[in-house]
Amino acid sequence: MKLISVIFTLFFVQTTFGQLLNDTIKFEPFVIEEFAVSATYKTTNLDAVATKSVENLAQLLQENSTVFIKSYGSGSLASVSFRGTGAGHTRVLWNGVSLNSPMNGQIDFSLYPTPFFDKVELHYGASGLIDGNGALGGSVNLQNSLPNFNDSAKSVKLNYNYSIGSFNKQIHSGKVAYLGTKKWFYETRILHSEAENDLVYYNFAKKENPEEKLQNAALKQYGFQQAIYKKFKNQTVGVRFWYFNSDRNLPSTMLVDKNDETQQDESFRLLVNTTGFKNKFSYKISAALIHDNLIYTNKLIDVNSKNNSLLMDNHVDVNYFINDKITFLNKVNVRHEQAIADGYNNEHKRFNNSWLTGFSGNFKRLNWTVFNRMTVVDDFFKPIAPSISLGYQLPKLESVTLKAAAGINHNYPTFNDLYWTSGGNPNLKPEEAKMSEAGLKYQKAFGKTTITTENTFFFAHVSNWILWQPSAGNIWSPTNLKKVENKGFESTLTIKYKLNKVDLSIRGNYAYTISKNINLPKNTDDALYKQLIYVPQHQFNSNIKLTYKNTALSYGYYYTGLRYISTDNNWYLPANYISNISLSQAIKLKTTTFNLRFQVNNLFNQTYQSIAWRPMPLRNYMLTLALNL
Amino acid sequence: MSKFITHIVVGLALLMFTFSSCKKEEFGPQCKNCEENAITPSIQNDVIIVNEGNFGFGNATLTLYNSTEKSVHHGIFQQANNYPLGDVAQSAYYFNGKIAVVVNNSNKIELIDKTNFTSIATITGFDSPRYFCPVNSSTAYVSNIFSNKIDIVNLTNNTISGSITTNSNWTEEMLVYNDTAYVCDMSNNKLILINTTNHQIIDNISLGIQPNSLVIDKNNNIWIMCDGGFNEANAQLIKFNPNIRAIEQTLVFSDINHSPSDLIIDNSKENMYFINTHVFKMNINDTSLPTSSWVSNNGEVFYSLGVHPTTQEIYVADAKDFVQNSTISVYKNNQQLSHQFQSGINSGQFLFLP
Repeated sequence: MKLISVIFTLFFVQTTFGQLLNDTIKFEPFVIEEFAVSATYKTTNLDAVATKSVENLAQLLQENSTVFIKSYGSGSLASVSFRGTGAGHTRVLWNGVSLNSPMNGQIDFSLYPTPFFDKVELHYGASGLIDGNGALGGSVNLQNSLPNFNDSAKSVKLNYNYSIGSFNKQIHSGKVAYLGTKKWFYETRILHSEAENDLVYYNFAKKENPEEKLQNAALKQYGFQQAIYKKFKNQTVGVRFWYFNSDRNLPSTMLVDKNDETQQDESFRLLVNTTGFKNKFSYKISAALIHDNLIYTNKLIDVNSKNNSLLMDNHVDVNYFINDKITFLNKVNVRHEQAIADGYNNEHKRFNNSWLTGFSGNFKRLNWTVFNRMTVVDDFFKPIAPSISLGYQLPKLESVTLKAAAGINHNYPTFNDLYWTSGGNPNLKPEEAKMSEAGLKYQKAFGKTTITTENTFFFAHVSNWILWQPSAGNIWSPTNLKKVENKGFESTLTIKYKLNKVDLSIRGNYAYTISKNINLPKNTDDALYKQLIYVPQHQFNSNIKLTYKNTALSYGYYYTGLRYISTDNNWYLPANYISNISLSQAIKLKTTTFNLRFQVNNLFNQTYQSIAWRPMPLRNYMLTLALNL
Repeated sequence: MSKFITHIVVGLALLMFTFSSCKKEEFGPQCKNCEENAITPSIQNDVIIVNEGNFGFGNATLTLYNSTEKSVHHGIFQQANNYPLGDVAQSAYYFNGKIAVVVNNSNKIELIDKTNFTSIATITGFDSPRYFCPVNSSTAYVSNIFSNKIDIVNLTNNTISGSITTNSNWTEEMLVYNDTAYVCDMSNNKLILINTTNHQIIDNISLGIQPNSLVIDKNNNIWIMCDGGFNEANAQLIKFNPNIRAIEQTLVFSDINHSPSDLIIDNSKENMYFINTHVFKMNINDTSLPTSSWVSNNGEVFYSLGVHPTTQEIYVADAKDFVQNSTISVYKNNQQLSHQFQSGINSGQFLFLP
């Protein structure tokens, strides 16, 4: 709680003086907001600068937000959870299309290298409903930017990155963008990366803690993305195709000597969309086809398991600007999910359709959004899932905006939950979350210093939480067992300071999360009112960046508090605190910019685990050369 | 303004220091209630509880309970050896002053000295071992899941000396009677008979679905519990006469949802107990399955069962949600609850030390 008081002290001291800075959310008719989440909700935006210095989405979120990343190690499976919910409660959308597997409802964040998207926006709690059902914790929106078609700047842009690092890591990535005449736009992105990941660690699971090298951890990833867009007068039409392939060996825990597991993932993602406006209507229509293949093998026990899924996801979003104060929101999503796996008796299919209607507007200093999402999935019809948010800019202190939001969202059982043989339970009900949050945002400039801080309290109940437990014949089977209460506090503080040629930027994020079982089948259970496993109570990260002319020095510090690994909180993983440091130098020639960057990760050589008995890398290095034409 | 920035930088630096200062260096999973000081076993009435832990979590432990003093010590293997027991401790067997703990996902067997719980040997090289059973003074068999064999362990040098190919990718509990090993074959629903002198398979006896446990009674009949799988068939309790190699009695459970397990027998070899949601008791002369439970579960999740060889008390573990410490309840033979204590995660077996 010390941190909270520090931030509040800073905050209240600073509100008393200085000039005002406007942070009004202006109503701009006929500009199509890609994300379309009202600023009255809590969101986090990660721009191109943030995405450039990391390899993948997992790392990006680890270093820039307080969502919790559970990582099996460098390059291995990484899952993300918001505000004490589960990994299956996080939706991931690519330009508006939900990518979550219909099989397990999750996303492996290590399979999303940053060169394939430009911006990321996080929607917390009740705001996730705008992105579809299932986001009981929040959603992660990956977005590809489009050029300004009216731009008269250079028509060809080329970017190439090469990174070389510890554990035989090599990453090549490139992007070519061409803005042609007659408002055509072409863009190609490619990536190839590989790593041995043969990191050295001390094996605390063995006599005398010998130094060992991680075995069977190599990975190779490659992929490309191709986009073609054409701008008409009031309309843009485009197609984007993304192929991605990952082939990796799965290392074991420190307690297992022999291991020969591999996993291959292959994804085909095709998106066709058009955006535009006519009179007082703005629209966005898209159709997407997402095909995922996953092959898991374990040679020791002779397992070769194939999993295929196909998603057809169609959106029709139409906004009607009633007047300059009120907008009518209307979003229809027709989504067909199908999957076949060795674990199913036959192929499973279902529609997951929903229709969102609502209004957003402003009244003097009050901004508001209210909407409802109606969902039909298989036999489930949920007519009511509302969300409301308000933002009020204080009349005397315009740098302060008070915010509040509340909503309900449902997460439907996955195909694995319903149909896995043996164990699947076809009688599962959807999980339900009731979420609320309140907070304030403050932004102000004092001469050469700008301070932004946002502080949010959240409170949520998740009921019918699906939990897999052993049942008859030692078979694991899911039931709607848990009821969980999540509450906590999130705080961000950004300070930017400019002096002559020196830019200083300091950013800190802190999250305090209490997530506990509030209802269990048996009240004598020691798990009642205990913190859920793998939910840290405290998380903190910060970054200090110093830029002088073309040189930048950046220091990042990431703290993850202890995580319990048994529901009675008798077992835990100790807290870890990792520091990364990097130095980069840009060299600008006429039309070409070279950027050389050297990064030291885990600067103080901390031994830590993110998941029990999975070694994380000790001090390691990475050198990146970027070329921009 | 720059003074203000300095304050913030100093503040953040202090903050980082606060977050980094840590009481002692802790690496990997930590257990709050586990033993920190050396333990000396008692002369008698010691019970070792084998706690499986969770797959991949490496939190398998051994709990030491003394039934006279009612004292409990958690995590005694880690304390005595300074490294964790491993991942998923499936079962344990006591012989010649030694305890063999089969650590399934670590693919090893820890041979532990009964007097101080230190590891005498770590037998490695298994695929996914389940149960350990000595067949004579120098040889033991180890059943396996995911591999079509029974491993043969040489107890003189504590290494795997060979294997018996079985056709079964899941062999479970075993017992030895008259130079023959009787092995539960979960995948083919059979009882495998192996000659323990030449390690040749003699016979395969067809049973009900998924034979998971077996005992031998005072008349030298073998009782085998078949759980029926995941609603595949009705569970069965089978009485097998090894001398004429014939099934003498098949008792079928009435409900397809019944999934009985943990068949045990007391020291007199007359009374059997098993778990079928509740605890049931049955005499070897009974000709039908018991209709009422001996101990009702009362909302608990009964996970394993043991009968004390001298006190005849029944030990039953409640695994709760499977991700927390089990509670062990001890019942006198008049069905009265005598004592309760906490053990580790997923207490799967009771080993009553002589």
